[in-house]
Amino acid sequence: MYPFIYHRPTNLAEAKRLFRTATDASFLSGGHTLLPALKQRLAAPSDLVDLWGMAELQGIALSGGRLTIGGGMVHAAVAASEIVRAHIPVLAGLAGSIGDRHVRHRGTIGGSVANNDPAADYPSAVLALDGTILTDRRRIAADDYFSGLYETAREPDEIVTAIEFPVPLSAGYAKFRNAASRYALAAVFVARTISGVRLAVTGAGASGVFRPAVFEAALNADFRPEALDDVTIDPDALLSDTAATAAYRANLVKVLARRAVARQGVVQIFK
Amino acid sequence: MDVLKSLRAIGQPLRRKEDQRLITGRGRFTDDFSLAGQAWAVMLRSPHPHAAIRGIDGSAALAMPGVLGVFSGADALADGLGEIPHNPVPSTRFDVKLTGRGGTPVYIGEHLLLPVDRARYVGEPVAMVVAETRQLALTAAEAVMVDFEPLPWVAETAASAEPDAPRLWDALADNILVDATFGDVAGTDAAFGAAAHVVTMTARIGRVTGVPMEPRAAIGEFDAQTGRYTLYAGSGGAVRQKHELAKVLGVEPARVRVISHDVGGNFGTRNRAYVEFGLVMWASRRLGRPVKFRADRSESFLTDYQGRDLISEVSLALDAEGKFLALRASNLSNVGARCVSLSPLSKGSGLITGSYDIPVATLRSRATFSNTMPTQAYRSSGRPEVTFTIERLIDKAAHELGYDRLDLRRRNLIAPSQMPYTNAVGSQYDSGEYEKNMDRLLEIGDWAGIEARRREARSRGKLLGVGFANYVESSIGSPKERADVIVRQNTVEIVIGTQPAGQGHETSFAQVAADLLGVPFEQVNITLGDTDVVSAGGGTHSGRSMRHASTVIALAVSDLIDKAKVLAADAFHVAPQLVEFEEGVFGTPATNRSLDWFELAAQARAKDPAGLRVRRDNEMHTPVFPNGSCMCEIEIDPETGGLEIIRYSTVDDVGRCINPMIVHGQTHGGIAQGVGQALWESFVIDPDSGQPLAGSFTDYAMPRSDNLPSFNAEIAEVISPTNPFGIKAGGEGGTTPALAVIMSAVEDALAEYGPIDIDMPATPLKIWTAIQTAREAAEETAKSELVA
Amino acid sequence: MRMVSLTVNGAAVSREVEDCMLLVEFLREELGLTGTHVGCDTTQCGCCVVHLDGVSAKSCTVLVLQAEGAEVTTIEGLARDGELHPLQRAFREHHGLQCGFCTPGQIMAGAELIETYPGRLDEHAVREEMEGNLCRCTGYHNIVKAILAAAEEMKPGMVSEQR
Repeated sequence: MYPFIYHRPTNLAEAKRLFRTATDASFLSGGHTLLPALKQRLAAPSDLVDLWGMAELQGIALSGGRLTIGGGMVHAAVAASEIVRAHIPVLAGLAGSIGDRHVRHRGTIGGSVANNDPAADYPSAVLALDGTILTDRRRIAADDYFSGLYETAREPDEIVTAIEFPVPLSAGYAKFRNAASRYALAAVFVARTISGVRLAVTGAGASGVFRPAVFEAALNADFRPEALDDVTIDPDALLSDTAATAAYRANLVKVLARRAVARQGVVQIFK
Repeated sequence: MDVLKSLRAIGQPLRRKEDQRLITGRGRFTDDFSLAGQAWAVMLRSPHPHAAIRGIDGSAALAMPGVLGVFSGADALADGLGEIPHNPVPSTRFDVKLTGRGGTPVYIGEHLLLPVDRARYVGEPVAMVVAETRQLALTAAEAVMVDFEPLPWVAETAASAEPDAPRLWDALADNILVDATFGDVAGTDAAFGAAAHVVTMTARIGRVTGVPMEPRAAIGEFDAQTGRYTLYAGSGGAVRQKHELAKVLGVEPARVRVISHDVGGNFGTRNRAYVEFGLVMWASRRLGRPVKFRADRSESFLTDYQGRDLISEVSLALDAEGKFLALRASNLSNVGARCVSLSPLSKGSGLITGSYDIPVATLRSRATFSNTMPTQAYRSSGRPEVTFTIERLIDKAAHELGYDRLDLRRRNLIAPSQMPYTNAVGSQYDSGEYEKNMDRLLEIGDWAGIEARRREARSRGKLLGVGFANYVESSIGSPKERADVIVRQNTVEIVIGTQPAGQGHETSFAQVAADLLGVPFEQVNITLGDTDVVSAGGGTHSGRSMRHASTVIALAVSDLIDKAKVLAADAFHVAPQLVEFEEGVFGTPATNRSLDWFELAAQARAKDPAGLRVRRDNEMHTPVFPNGSCMCEIEIDPETGGLEIIRYSTVDDVGRCINPMIVHGQTHGGIAQGVGQALWESFVIDPDSGQPLAGSFTDYAMPRSDNLPSFNAEIAEVISPTNPFGIKAGGEGGTTPALAVIMSAVEDALAEYGPIDIDMPATPLKIWTAIQTAREAAEETAKSELVA
Repeated sequence: MRMVSLTVNGAAVSREVEDCMLLVEFLREELGLTGTHVGCDTTQCGCCVVHLDGVSAKSCTVLVLQAEGAEVTTIEGLARDGELHPLQRAFREHHGLQCGFCTPGQIMAGAELIETYPGRLDEHAVREEMEGNLCRCTGYHNIVKAILAAAEEMKPGMVSEQR
C-alpha cells in the first residue's frame, strides 16, 4: 500500500472535519472494498477516516412503516436482525447472501451504498424498495441517488448515516452468481410497494443498478411470472465480459425476474 | 526379506504425524522464516507478451531511500550466472522419447534468471529491486524505467504452431520444438483403410494453473566466510533444486543448501526451480545480507509454472462389431515461452490408447512455443488430457454408431489375462482388472437407477446427465532414491529425498518403516527437505514417492538387519548366521537372550559415534499403471445454464494401499482439480492484447466447498508385480478421468439438443449458449420443413 | 507510526506500528504468530481468518489500527491449557488437512461457525457457510466431515441429516 495517515474519529462532526482538512481522504467502513484496492496500489489516499463502529451509524429501528438501518451496520447484523427478518425478510436474506461469512462480519450497508459497485446486492434492494439514503446533511430518494457505474449523488465528504426502507407488501430477490468473484452476474429485486411494483436489476447494467420500466409495467398490470413472457431487455444496456455476454445477462435478468415474482418472500441464489 | 510378513501399520488409516504442528499454527512454510538483517526483493515484470529489452534504467529507483540494488539480466550475465538446467525431456528408460524434427535434439530456449534480449511473456521478470522493506521495494520498482520495444506476439496454441507465427527463438525456423511420430504408421494406415467405421474428433484441453494455497517464497543467504549459499524455498525436490541452482551460480553443489520444510501445495507448480530462488541467493552475495522474496497471489497467477494446454486430433477405426482396430492421434502441446518440462506431452503420449485393447496406433507429438507462461507437469501431467481424448472419442463413436457407451467400452477393455499388456505406443501396463473396476463402480454409483433419477430431475425442471469414464495412467518419475535409516536412543529416523506438500509422507513412510523394523509407528520419524541432511533423492512428482520410498526403505532396513545381526552376534557370542530377527527383536535359539534395535544401537554407539545406521540407494525404472473407473451425475438448469454436481463416484486401483485415509484424501483433492478444469478454471488470455485476464480469484473460478459434493470413492488393490510392496500410486487417479467424466455428463444432460460442442470449462454461459444455438437450429429446421 | 493496543490470544499487547499495517502483518511480523497465513491479495481465500471480537474476520483486510482495543484469537490461541479444540482434533481425526496451509483459516472459520450458527447444521449449510475458505488439497470432503463431527461433539443435536 502507499502510505496514508489513519484517523479514528468518535463522531460524525469530527469525521467530516478530518476529511475536509486532509489532502485527499477516503472514508473507511468495513474496508472490504477499499482495503483490497489499496493493497493492490489502485488508489493512494493521503488519509483514511475510519467510520467503523461509530455510534451515530449504528442501529436498526422500525417506525411508521419504515425500517431504518444505520450505515455502520454489518451485513451479518442485518441478516440476523429480528426486526428486519420480521418486516422485510428478503432484505435480511439478501444481506446474508453478500460475499462470504467473514465478509459479512465486516462489510457495512453504508459502505456498500456509498460505493455502488455495479454487482453489489444492496443497491438493488434500496432501489426496488424505494428506499431513502440518509446522509449527514440530507435525505436522497433512491431514484435520485444511484447515478452510474460506481457513481452516486453523494458529495465526496458526505457520509451515509442510514438507509430507510418502507416496508413493502412483498418482496423477492433472485441472484445468479459469478463462479469466481461470487458477485452477481445478474440479480433482480422485485418489490410490491404501496406505489406499485418496483423491480431493480444489479450485476447486469452497463451503468449500474437500474429499473427496467417495461418489466415494471408488465408486472403492475399482472403480477405473475407469465406477465414477463414477452418482455425483453435490450442487451446494449447490459455489461458484457468473459463470464457473461450481454445476451446471456439479458436472459438471466428475465429468468431471475420471473423466479423472484414466483417466489416472493425468499432469496433465491443460483450458480 | 519378506516385506509382507507383518503388515500392522501398513493398510491402516493411521492419523497423521504432520497434523499436530499444522493444526496448531506451528507449520514452517517459507514465508514464516525471517533472517536477521534480511532485505526484500521484488520483481519488475514485463507488461508485454513479447518485447525486446533495449535498456533498463534503475537510477531513479536507486536514489530512493532504503533501496539497496537494482539488478538486470546483463548484471547477472556479467556476474557469471548461468541458465537453469531444466532438462525438460523426460529421460527415464520408459518415458516416450520426444525429439525435435527429424530426430534432432529438442531446443528448449535458455532460461537465464533474468533475460538479456527479450521478454517473452506477460509477467516475465526483467529486473530485481532489493530494498529494506517490501513496500519500499515495490515503490522503487515502479520507478525503474525499462525501454521495451514491443514485438509481434502469439499466444493461442494452434496459431503459435503455424509456420508464419511470430517466432520466440531465433534458433528455430518456427515455434515447433518437438515433432516426433511414434507407433506403427503402416499398420495404422492399413487398419484404417480396412475399417468399417472411422470416428474423428478434435479435443481442446485448455490452460489452467495449479493455485497451491501457499504463494511461492524464497530466502537466500550467502555466508561469505564459508562461501555457502542457503536457500529457504518450498519446492518439489530440494535435492534437485540444489543441484540446479548450484549450476546457475557456478559453484559446487556442496556449497548450496536448500531447505524446504512445510510446502503449501505443489501439484507440479514447484517441480522446477523459479528464477527468484537463484536471484535472492545471488542478491544476498552481492549485498552481504539475506534477501527474501514472496510472490503475491497475482504474481502466482501470472508466473507460476502453468498446466495442460493441449490440442489433440484423434481418429478411431472400428470394425463392424465395434471392435477397436486402430487409433491415430496428433497432439500439440503449448509449452509457453520456453521449455521447462515436456512431461505432459511425454506421459500423455504413452497412454493415448487408454484402457482399451487397440492393437495398432500412430501418434504425432508436437510441442510449440508461445508468448505465454511456461507450462510443466500439473496433477497427473498429461494423463487427464489423453484420457479425455480417448474417452470422449469412444462416447462419440457410441453415439454415431448406435452403441451403448458402456457396452462399447466393455467389448474393448484390456482383460486381466492380457497383463502385462504392451500398448500400441510401447507402454507396458503392469496389472489391473479393468472390467471389475467398471462393474464395482456401476454398483456404487447406482447406474441402474439413473433413468428414475432423470425423470425426477425433469419434474423439477432440471436436466440430469450422467458421465462415465475409464482411465489408466502411469507413474514413472525420477528413478533414483536414497534412504538413511538411523537408530537413535528410542526412535528410528528415516532420511529420505521425497518432498511432500500434503501427501503425508511423514506418516505413510513411517507406517512402512515401522512394519519392516518391527517397532511402533510412533517411534519412527521421517526427515525430509534439508539438503544438508538429505543427501540425495528424487523429489515428489508423478506419483513416484510411495513406491520409491517404500522400496528403498525396505532395502535399507534389510541392510540394517544384516548389520544389526553382526552386532547381536557379537553380543551373544554366536556366529551371525545364528542370529534371528523377529518383530523388532534380535535373538538366537541357543539362549533366551534378546536385544532390540535401541539396545543394539546403544552398543554400537559405545564403539563408534555413528552408531547403528545404514544408507541405501535404489534405482527403479519400471513404471506402474494405476487405473479405475469414474461416474458422475450432474443437473443442469436449462434456463440459466447453471450446473450442480449431484453425485461423484470412483473406483481406483492404487495397488497396495499403505494408508487408505491418505489415499482417499488424495482422490478427493485430485477430483476437485480435475472438475475445476472441466467446469470453472481457465487461464484466459485476451486474443487482442495478449494480456492474461484471469489474474486473481476474482476472475479465476475455483472449486469451493459449496460447488462440490461429497465423493463416493472406493479403493481397489490389484497388487503390482513391479515393486516389493506392490504399490502403484494414489495421488493422481482422482484427476485423471475427471475432465472426461464431467464433459460426458454434460453431453448426456443436453442429449435432447443434439450434438453440442462445448469446450472446457463448461460454464453456465457456454451451456446456455449451446442450448440456445441448438434450439435456434431446430427452429430453423422446423421452419424449413414447414415451408417444404 | 503510532501505538496500538489489543488483546491477542488472551494476552495484552502494545506495539508501535505504521498506519498501513494490516492485522495479519501485525500478527505474523510483530508478534511472530505465523500460524495465520496470507494466501491471496483480493480477500478471497480465507487463509488469514482469525476471530476478531468473537466473530470470524479476514485479517488481511483489517488494519491493525482498526483492531485497537479488540480481542483477537488466532490458531495458536485456540487450544486452551494444552487441550486441543474439538475442531482441531476433528481435523486430525477426519484428515481435514493435507499441506496445512489453509488449515488455520479453515479451523478458525469452522470453530466460529459452530459457535455462532443459529440452528441446525447439515452438510449443505456447512458447505455454504465455508465458501469463503479455499482449499486446493482436500476437495473439501473431509473438512466438511470434520466440522460436522466437531459440531455434534460441541453441541449435541446441532447436526441434522441432509436430504
